[in-house]
Amino acid sequence: MEQISIAGQLFQYLITGITVGSIYAMVAIGFNIIYDVTDIINFAQGEFVMLGGLTMVLFHVSFQIPIIIAFILTVMGVTLIGILVDRLAIRPIRQPSVLTLIIATIAVSFVIRGAAMFFWGKNPFDLPAFSGRNPITFYGAVIQPQYFWVVGFLIVVVIVLSIFFDKTITGKAMKACADNADAARLVGINVNQMIMLSFALSAGVGAVAGIIITPISLMEYDRGAMLAVKGFGAVILGGLGSFPGAIIGGLILGIIESLVAGLISSGYKDAFALVVLLCVLFFKPSGILGNIEISKIKRF
Amino acid sequence: MMALMLRTEGLNAFYGNIRAITDVTIRVPKGKVVSIIGANGAGKSTLLKSISGLIQRKNGHVIYKDRDITNMSVNRIVKLGISQVPEGRQLFAHLTVEDNIRLGAYSYYNRRNRSVIQDRIDGVYGMFPILEKRCKQVSGTLSGGEQQMLAIARAFMARPDMILLDEPSMGIAPLVVREIFNVIVNLNQSGTTVLLVEQNAKAALKVAHYAYVLEGGRVVLEGLPKELLDNPKVKEVYLGG
Repeated sequence: MEQISIAGQLFQYLITGITVGSIYAMVAIGFNIIYDVTDIINFAQGEFVMLGGLTMVLFHVSFQIPIIIAFILTVMGVTLIGILVDRLAIRPIRQPSVLTLIIATIAVSFVIRGAAMFFWGKNPFDLPAFSGRNPITFYGAVIQPQYFWVVGFLIVVVIVLSIFFDKTITGKAMKACADNADAARLVGINVNQMIMLSFALSAGVGAVAGIIITPISLMEYDRGAMLAVKGFGAVILGGLGSFPGAIIGGLILGIIESLVAGLISSGYKDAFALVVLLCVLFFKPSGILGNIEISKIKRF
Repeated sequence: MMALMLRTEGLNAFYGNIRAITDVTIRVPKGKVVSIIGANGAGKSTLLKSISGLIQRKNGHVIYKDRDITNMSVNRIVKLGISQVPEGRQLFAHLTVEDNIRLGAYSYYNRRNRSVIQDRIDGVYGMFPILEKRCKQVSGTLSGGEQQMLAIARAFMARPDMILLDEPSMGIAPLVVREIFNVIVNLNQSGTTVLLVEQNAKAALKVAHYAYVLEGGRVVLEGLPKELLDNPKVKEVYLGG
């Protein structure tokens, strides 16, 4: 058997880590969108990812819908579910505290997971890779073409969201709701609408993450919980509410996991992710890019 | 009889089950400055929030331009031309000065209105040159006086016919207070009706055409500022003897 150099091996772990980390980053971005508008941590975020993957399988594999149309339909469908989550689980709660709302999102995640199990069963599903499965060998590392799609989509999502939040009045209005909901009402912003929009957006981002990861790691009904934990880890690592933080946190977490899986044992990779999360909470609770001053006034 | 911009009829407002204002009836004539003075907790802010729609639990009537707006949402009330400068500024602290100003125009913001909005922004910078200097700065880092100016600027961006000001002098240096009140007078002279709520009775009576005294959630006294300034009770309680 051909000898693989240590450097090549490390490079391989790095590539895998970046790919997985990109997915964590997208989950983290989903968390941040909702958090930035509402102060809620939406624990159903992982469920959006799972639904994205499985719905894509349904449309593309079962119904044989062409990939681009299936992609669009899936993102729209999951976005609609995000809107329903807001309308059916979040808005009806009267005089909500942030904690009540967070617990509601946990309930939502159970309901979605149960429904997905009922509909798709417990087996994992595969999705054809977007550009085939012939790996490219590069400096001794084997790179699946799908990896490029994952990183590419992360970049596109980040650019689109940055433009939306920094340049458009609707994006600014969403940020204004998080800063001061009453003042937002006073300038005529419909705060409920903005909350709904935040759920729609983060469900859409979640769906994209689910679609692009399924060809690499398959997807089954109960994947959402672990993805949410990892994504949440990325959020905490990078600093709650920070988009660049979400990306950095996601990538670091992915790379650490991949290195641990390769160099120590793949059985410990989830444990290491959680150890990293705990260390951040112990030593720098505001995260890498989080601001201590801001984190003091945050409710969570 | 002068044309009325706004009146309340027997207005009551509640926080939960606690009544914060009782049977408040006030008249705000078009193009005038009406001040409401009173101590902390007298219900002044509650009255403003009931008018702007932030408080929904209320009964009685709020009539604006002959239209009952008592149960309207804040969004609709802003669109009709009532804009509130909330107590304690309530800026969007993490956004820039310019974004705060732009968001003031949210209720009519679209591509078609771009030039109208730009004109208005220029007008606001004309009123407050300091805000133009600070336009890229995050608003939470401004001084108290600058924040108050920004809060007024943001409210003015909504194209109000009537502006509700809640304690604009709170926590601001006396020299800056004078500047802020000059702006209020200018706003009024350019045609905006002003309803002003203040603990600083002297300043509030100086700019007002008519005034009310609120105590324990009720109107206990009303009149021309001159009359109130001469009133022994007002002198003792609100003007410091």
